[in-house]
Amino acid sequence: MEANLLYNVSNGETFGYMIAVYFYLTGLSAGSFIISTLGYGFGVEKYRPLGKPGVILATLLLVAAPMFLLLHVGKPLRSWHLFMWINLTSPISWGSYLLTLYPINCIIYGYFMFTGRAKLTKIFGLVGIPLALFVHGYTGFILAFGKARPLWNSSIMPLLFLVSAMVSGIALMILVAAVKDRFFSPERKVNKELVFDLAKILGWMIVFDLFLVVCEEATHLVSHQGAIDATTLLLTGKFVVPFLVIEIFVGKIIPLIVVMVPRFRTVPAVIAVSILAFVCILAMRFNVVLGGEYIPLI
Amino acid sequence: MNKVRYAMLIDLNRCIGCYSCQVACKMENGVPLGSWRSWVKQIEKGKYPNVSKSFLPLLCNNCENPICVTVCPVLASIKRDDGIVFVDPHRCIGCRYCMASCPYGVRYVNPLLNIVQKCDFCLHRVDQGLQPACVEACPAQARIFGDLHDPESEIAKLIAGSSVARVKPDMGTDPKVYYIGLDEEAVEKVEREE
Repeated sequence: MEANLLYNVSNGETFGYMIAVYFYLTGLSAGSFIISTLGYGFGVEKYRPLGKPGVILATLLLVAAPMFLLLHVGKPLRSWHLFMWINLTSPISWGSYLLTLYPINCIIYGYFMFTGRAKLTKIFGLVGIPLALFVHGYTGFILAFGKARPLWNSSIMPLLFLVSAMVSGIALMILVAAVKDRFFSPERKVNKELVFDLAKILGWMIVFDLFLVVCEEATHLVSHQGAIDATTLLLTGKFVVPFLVIEIFVGKIIPLIVVMVPRFRTVPAVIAVSILAFVCILAMRFNVVLGGEYIPLI
Repeated sequence: MNKVRYAMLIDLNRCIGCYSCQVACKMENGVPLGSWRSWVKQIEKGKYPNVSKSFLPLLCNNCENPICVTVCPVLASIKRDDGIVFVDPHRCIGCRYCMASCPYGVRYVNPLLNIVQKCDFCLHRVDQGLQPACVEACPAQARIFGDLHDPESEIAKLIAGSSVARVKPDMGTDPKVYYIGLDEEAVEKVEREE
């Protein structure tokens, strides 16, 4: 049946850019924190050099991230309402506590690390791991509870957010490791072994991430009409360039090939694909948030 | 079961598409420029000479299971005992999570107050025993407002005695705005760039 829309009202975007950037920064923070605890929490010696830059970045990024939330909300001066009234069924309500506890834990963990108290560092590092997972996992829940949007309302969303957080966090750590050793170490030489070890973790995280993306999109394609529309928007519609080309091909397939095939795995190449993966996850946040709310509801 | 459960029935066979409800709502609730609590979506169907227009008056469904109340982080979206869902203007922080979750797109940010607002069946009028502004304004008497749980009320009788439908009941929200003669085409037609 041929039908035309003559008159309708649209009440405008709901989340938008600020929330996408906020998700990106919390993801980076959680990823950096987890890499930081590999050396100081789990005692893997080769990752010890990343402990200190990891915790500094995790703290700074998590201080910056909520600023974007304050820019997003209509009434930033009412933020204290989040602590006055608690709704146990609302992920944002969980988040207000996580976003308070996690940076405090990061600061304590960092303080003990810098003052050289190994045992306390280990304890706070291990306490921080579930916090880091929750602080980013809850952002996946925010979208998953947005039941109106088929692209968000998916049980895989929190896991997808955690895995993409690890991808961007490890990519950031590869860049940090390279820059730190190249410019600030006495030898002025990149620690090849460390970069390649991180690149291997990056590769496996990208494999996991791609697996989840395929699960999500394939299931949506055989689901109800709203889910089909939302997925076709990403695969063939307006979001085909940011999604298929930038996020999947440039940001995930190319880095995966470079870090997995020994012939391509050189220090400059790994650094270059880390930058790609780092940018691609930002594209992923935009695709999920803006793509999810692109099709009008009514 | 609560004693009172407010609901609205819109008889689309009676609707003439005059937009009086839309204007009355805006005046009654002081809705700012560019935003609407209730509006009449309109589509045209078919090819000449077999054409028709469909009207779909939309407003907050004041759902039985409101997702906005579930996700509001500061408990600013509240469901009253009589089923009316409203936003506490003094508590809302304007995070828009309710807007992102609502399947009906009926919430908006008030650009002057920077908080989220929506239709609440004119609860200030209902509490004084009056009808919502849109119901009172409708010249065709297409809108009927009343208590679902009172078997003697006009709305309860009409819903019991006619074939009614609701917008997106599959969302599990149990919406409380009923339609007679609802056109699925009008619900599903949305603006999209191909």
